[in-house]
Amino acid sequence: MISSIGIILTWFGFLNLIILFISSNKNLFQTLVRVNLLIHFLLFCILEIALFLDDFSLYYIANHSAASTPPLYKFASLWGSLDGSILLWNLVLSIYFYLYIKFYRASVELYDIKIFASILLFFSGFTIFSSSPFSGCIQLASIGCQDFTLLPFQDLVTSESGRGPNPLLQNHPLMAIHPPILYLGYIGLVLPFVIATSELFNKHKDENWIKIAERATYFPWVFLTAGISLGAAWSYEVLGWGGYWAWDPVENVSFIPWLLATAFLHSSKTQIKEQTLINWNYVLACLMFLSVIFGTFITRSGVLISVHAFSNGNIGTYLLIGLFIFSFLFIFIGIRNIEYFKTSNKVENLLGRSGFFVANNIVLSASALIVLIGTIYPIFYESFFSRQLTIGRSFYDILIGPLLLILVYLMIFSTKISRVNLDFKTWLIGYQNELNVSLLISIILTFYFRASYKFVLTIFGSVLLVIIIGKNIVKRYKKTKLQGSYWTGQISHLGIGIFTIGLILNVTQSFSNELIISTGDIVNFGDKEFIILPPYEEIKEEKNVINLPIEFEDQEKNATLNIFKNSSQQAISSPAVFRSIESDTYVTIKVIDDDKFKLIFRENYGIFILWLGLGISSASFLTRMRK
Amino acid sequence: MKKYLSITLFIILIFLPLVIYEDNNSRYEKLSKSLLCPVCQGETLYDSPSEYADDMRIVLKEQIDNGMSDKQIMEYWTARFGERINTNPQNSNYILILFPIIFALVFGSLFYRKVLND
Repeated sequence: MISSIGIILTWFGFLNLIILFISSNKNLFQTLVRVNLLIHFLLFCILEIALFLDDFSLYYIANHSAASTPPLYKFASLWGSLDGSILLWNLVLSIYFYLYIKFYRASVELYDIKIFASILLFFSGFTIFSSSPFSGCIQLASIGCQDFTLLPFQDLVTSESGRGPNPLLQNHPLMAIHPPILYLGYIGLVLPFVIATSELFNKHKDENWIKIAERATYFPWVFLTAGISLGAAWSYEVLGWGGYWAWDPVENVSFIPWLLATAFLHSSKTQIKEQTLINWNYVLACLMFLSVIFGTFITRSGVLISVHAFSNGNIGTYLLIGLFIFSFLFIFIGIRNIEYFKTSNKVENLLGRSGFFVANNIVLSASALIVLIGTIYPIFYESFFSRQLTIGRSFYDILIGPLLLILVYLMIFSTKISRVNLDFKTWLIGYQNELNVSLLISIILTFYFRASYKFVLTIFGSVLLVIIIGKNIVKRYKKTKLQGSYWTGQISHLGIGIFTIGLILNVTQSFSNELIISTGDIVNFGDKEFIILPPYEEIKEEKNVINLPIEFEDQEKNATLNIFKNSSQQAISSPAVFRSIESDTYVTIKVIDDDKFKLIFRENYGIFILWLGLGISSASFLTRMRK
Repeated sequence: MKKYLSITLFIILIFLPLVIYEDNNSRYEKLSKSLLCPVCQGETLYDSPSEYADDMRIVLKEQIDNGMSDKQIMEYWTARFGERINTNPQNSNYILILFPIIFALVFGSLFYRKVLND
């Protein structure tokens, strides 16, 4: 029943999009875009209802949910696997389509509507022709469902119980927030693509497109920043390996668009103010969206192994065709506008705004390229040499680390950036106090941590950045409100400065130890004392949880080992985290051997500072809320 | 006056790490961070909670205690599990590190010629 409703409604949505694509009526699209949003919202609701009703006649629900799954994770199961996540993807695209016609649309012609509709047609085509979360189950497996149909009104079989979601995905409430926020950022980068290609489709008329594209990139950027940070937080809280960023391919492909979007937010400003970098801006605006499709291709086609990667038959080829079509559109429109691109001014002042932004763009796009190469090189290597190789943390540390450092030093000058060249000498004299204070702080910290040059270089730059921008913001805040893109930049930069302090503390100072203990032991780790209390087991419907309470001062927290039923996957160890501003003590159970436990104690420095910085960067959107 | 203070502080900062830097990463930490757990998804031995990785860590610790050099240890593991177990850049992918640098140079000079005024 639900299966048929869903499939038929998907068809209606598809039909609606086709009308939107071919219609040349200039008033009709307003209604059709709203209808499209309504249909995709309904589809979302229907699948949620089916999930809560445990309708196991649906292939997707039988295989990715279970009656015993707690409500929050049932809700999140909608995007827990490929077919459902495409439903969310389409809903987010539809939301952006609506927001686009409401807030960003400037053109009088219909190119933008047609391009946007074709993108949506492309993605909803997948749910119609390849696999849909609404497809009904026609053949049972021992648990869950074996085979499905894409047609409505079939005789469906209902499986007794569901397979349940991936255990990793039902362990922490962040799982319900992280993917939608990330999608809002990731997919939002469709806006600059649509704006750039449609405004330049015929022949460009004015410079309006870059302003709109810049505005339209900013909010997706905020969501992307927040989404990536939440993912990192989830990894830290749940996966029990003590880190937050693993340079996993899926993390990488969310980071590449972030780098490009950050570059675009800067370079678009030079075009708005000084008419420079026009061609580069066009390339970036399109590349952001192309990198989104490419990233989806990499992670959903099964060419890579990763925690996030779930593949499903033919989506790889499908996405590759899409990547080809949209790249063609990008190149075709680019070639048509060669004359326009030639009107771009050259950058006059290397130490002025444009010069700084060019430097920033070179660093950011080089980083994006490095991450891209690191992600895809193992695939090529394997297919050419039929041997596997791993590109690990050290590759990125060597290459991305110094580039991030360059960015920190560039940002220091961002408070007083203007069209004319920066006079370095006056700058030094003007910021003498700030320089002295940050030199002093760096000396104290270096002395305290007995640190290396890597630490010294980073900490000095970031402390100086935080002090200069912090002072700038405080001075302004006393007088009036912080509004406008200059202050957006300042607050984001402040956040990044704080983030870098946390990052360098974390990377250079953290330490860990592996201990074998039994209950009642007192553990000395660092200069702290922990008491291990007797463990107890909780038996829940979907999993068994072994809790090991650990006492530190007057806090008591559980390190847990989650053993999931209905799952072949290994047990998941979740940490007990004792937080403080300077460092977290992070305890995980590694192995249980009768009454002995092997525990890992980690002292993770700078974690709080790191989250604080990312939070401040994401909160920079407050400066743009009112015009 | 402030100027001399800055210069003094700067000089202190520059030489400080030379005097006080202590490498607190043990050999075990370094090695277990550069070896990939062969049965996990992209985790190193250091990170992985799997039992297989646990067994490997025990062997690794023994090797360190027996006084094997870093090179010998890495050779031991790559001989058994192949090149992919080593997450450090090696001969076959040093080019990877060079490539982005070359690219950045080419890209930068292109930018300089096309975008900036000489």
